[in-house]
Amino acid sequence: MPAVSLLVVIVAFACSPLLSGTPLQPFDVYNALQGFAQLGLPALAIGITMIAGEFDLSIVGTYALGGMLAVSTGVSSPALGVLAAVAAGAAIGAAQGALIARLRIPSMPVTLATYIALLGLTYAISGGLSKTYPNSDVTLWVDQTLAGIFSPRSLLTLAVFLIAAVVLGRTRLGRELRAIGGDRRASRVAGVGVDGLVIGLFTVSGTLAALGGALLSYSYASANPDPGLQPLILAAVAALLGGVSLAGGRGTPLGLLAGALSVALLAQIVAITALPDFTTQLLYAALLAVIVAIESPGLRALLDRFRASRADRPQTLS
Amino acid sequence: MIQIDGLTRAFHGVPAVSGVSFTVGAGEIHGLCGHNGAGKSTVVKMLTGQLTPDSGRIVIGDEPVELRSRQAAQRAGVALVDQELSVVPALTVGENMLLGDIHAPLVNRRRAAYAHCRRVLDDMGLEGIDPDQPLSTLSIGEQQLIEIAKALSQRARLVILDEPTATLTDVESASVFAAIRRVAATGCSIIFVSHRLAEVLELCHSVTVLRDGRKIATTPTADLTVDALIVQMLGEPPFRLAAARKPDHDLAHALRISGLRVPGRLRDFSLTANAGRIYALAGQLGSGASDVLRAVAGLHPTAIGTVELHDRPVPVRDPVAAARHGVAFLSNDRKSEGLFLDRSVGWNLTATRLPFFARAGVLQPRRELVIARALAERSGLPEHRLGDPVAALSGGNQQKAFVGRCLGRDDVFALLLDEPTRGVDIGGRAAIHQLLRRAADAGLVVLFASTELDELLELGDVIVTMRDGQIVNRYDGDVDVDGVLLMRDMTRGIA
Repeated sequence: MPAVSLLVVIVAFACSPLLSGTPLQPFDVYNALQGFAQLGLPALAIGITMIAGEFDLSIVGTYALGGMLAVSTGVSSPALGVLAAVAAGAAIGAAQGALIARLRIPSMPVTLATYIALLGLTYAISGGLSKTYPNSDVTLWVDQTLAGIFSPRSLLTLAVFLIAAVVLGRTRLGRELRAIGGDRRASRVAGVGVDGLVIGLFTVSGTLAALGGALLSYSYASANPDPGLQPLILAAVAALLGGVSLAGGRGTPLGLLAGALSVALLAQIVAITALPDFTTQLLYAALLAVIVAIESPGLRALLDRFRASRADRPQTLS
Repeated sequence: MIQIDGLTRAFHGVPAVSGVSFTVGAGEIHGLCGHNGAGKSTVVKMLTGQLTPDSGRIVIGDEPVELRSRQAAQRAGVALVDQELSVVPALTVGENMLLGDIHAPLVNRRRAAYAHCRRVLDDMGLEGIDPDQPLSTLSIGEQQLIEIAKALSQRARLVILDEPTATLTDVESASVFAAIRRVAATGCSIIFVSHRLAEVLELCHSVTVLRDGRKIATTPTADLTVDALIVQMLGEPPFRLAAARKPDHDLAHALRISGLRVPGRLRDFSLTANAGRIYALAGQLGSGASDVLRAVAGLHPTAIGTVELHDRPVPVRDPVAAARHGVAFLSNDRKSEGLFLDRSVGWNLTATRLPFFARAGVLQPRRELVIARALAERSGLPEHRLGDPVAALSGGNQQKAFVGRCLGRDDVFALLLDEPTRGVDIGGRAAIHQLLRRAADAGLVVLFASTELDELLELGDVIVTMRDGQIVNRYDGDVDVDGVLLMRDMTRGIA
């Protein structure tokens, strides 16, 4: 299903010159990938928690805090800034994971509270103002064009997705993560260490979100204390387009990759064709509705019934 | 060789298992039997690291082991097939077989894993199942076989199978038995927990029987018969003499069930029930007894057959229609399918009769209170607890509220209850039995499913025994019945 959504969007992307009247440039692809770089890490962070049957709402808070920490601490050494952001993200994630696993609290209220708290914390650090990042060398470096369409930022994001794909698809850890999303009781009985996995999971989602925030703030040369709900919503859209089920247990990082690319390309199509901004939202909604409807059990049952009724019809052979 | 020595565990001061000891030799298949509440599950949980014993020792090989978690038990070489189906439908067959296996490599070696699973499946006679197939494409029986295959393939020193065949067909059971024998022949010890006594005698070398948390005996199967085993399990078996409520041909046929089937669960069930009588369905897990109730209540989406209540056909597969025709169903799972736990007792009592105290769609709280009070009195709930959340009540009182909800309604004609006194103390149990008797006397058909022999014999005017999705015997009110007779039907079936 993620492949279908990506295919539809790629075809639309390829056809966009028909509307804009100018042929596609490598720069258009580069821009789409930059959009992907911005969205990808939060989408992956929320996606893997959904695969494991949890839901990490705090990613936007970690994302904002990560950006703020990176610009505050990374002026002379950008690596140090990223490190500070990632360390904070990991620590916040681990603390949330421990609460959720050990006290058996649902992840929604815990991560919602963390999200709000982190926004407050970020606000306190910044005084509620955007904080600029003076090291313009770093800003230029992270967004420089590589091979015509890539940047270090988009390449790094892609690399993280590939690592996630290998871990989830090819290791015992990945199998166990998908198992606890599919059926937690059965996983416990089978001998999966559920609590440890949940803690690790939230640590990773916090880390990824903070990394995404840090890279974005380097790219914008400023950190925004309140990114709003847009990143969370787009990340969730990307995850759902990527075939992740809200019930848990289903979805792959490559599906998430396709979902995130779909969202980024769609935004770029709107930019290329110079359609008004609100079209983006309408297109997201339409794509999401179609993809989710195609997969819905109700539709499948309808189709099955339809097929069965055709098969039941008496054959009129003479 | 596995030695279990003086294993004891209590819950809230009530002993569930006290001083149970037995030994399972290398290569031995050891049966573990007991009636409900005998302590089998508690013993299994202690052996698999899901519960820690209060005292006692478990020795595997020559070393005493402490099994504090499922992982610790696995490291000590204990594999488990749980009573409940414990597979993950979202994963493939092969992934399920390797899930939680501490010997599985950290990074999958796809070919090696595939070959390993292929070999295990072939050994079980499951050549038709591919390890890369999603588990959700298999039938429930096949999923159960995968779980057994998984446990048998872990190269454990002790494999525990807790009711592994309850949901399997005879052919499937036969291949499971062959696989168990093959694994035992490699020197692995097997503990086989089952209520299918004929199977236990066929498969096991010796059988340990528990009753009320204590060990009664360990006997070589050569010296046992099904009846001897039942006597060990029950002690003094409960009985019912030909009762006052003889079949009465003047009573109207209220509920007619004919040709009721649920694929994979219920083969064929027909019963004609009179108003004013209590019908007991006696059947163990997987016997189909509770499926009869669920199907009549419209809760089995795949059920077929006809149900008539007072000569009006009740559509199967439609719970709302069943309720409208006057079928009230009380699930054995009060918590998820019965009560609104965080709402008050009064709220729960009146939840299914809102139209009675609404005027033009608006609820009249004062009228609601009057009705709730009356119902509380009828169902024996203290009036001052009407405002308390149901979750704060004891199991017995919760069940009373549950039953009370169906009482005093002139639009309910049949009351179906699955395990009406599960988790209820003795006092509550008597009160609930009384409630049901009164409901029957008021002209309702009462149909309940239970595994409790005492309850079946005390409450049932007609007792219908079931096994493998069909009726074994029917005992009307004019015959003597005892626990041994019922157990034989429920565990051995049609000879």
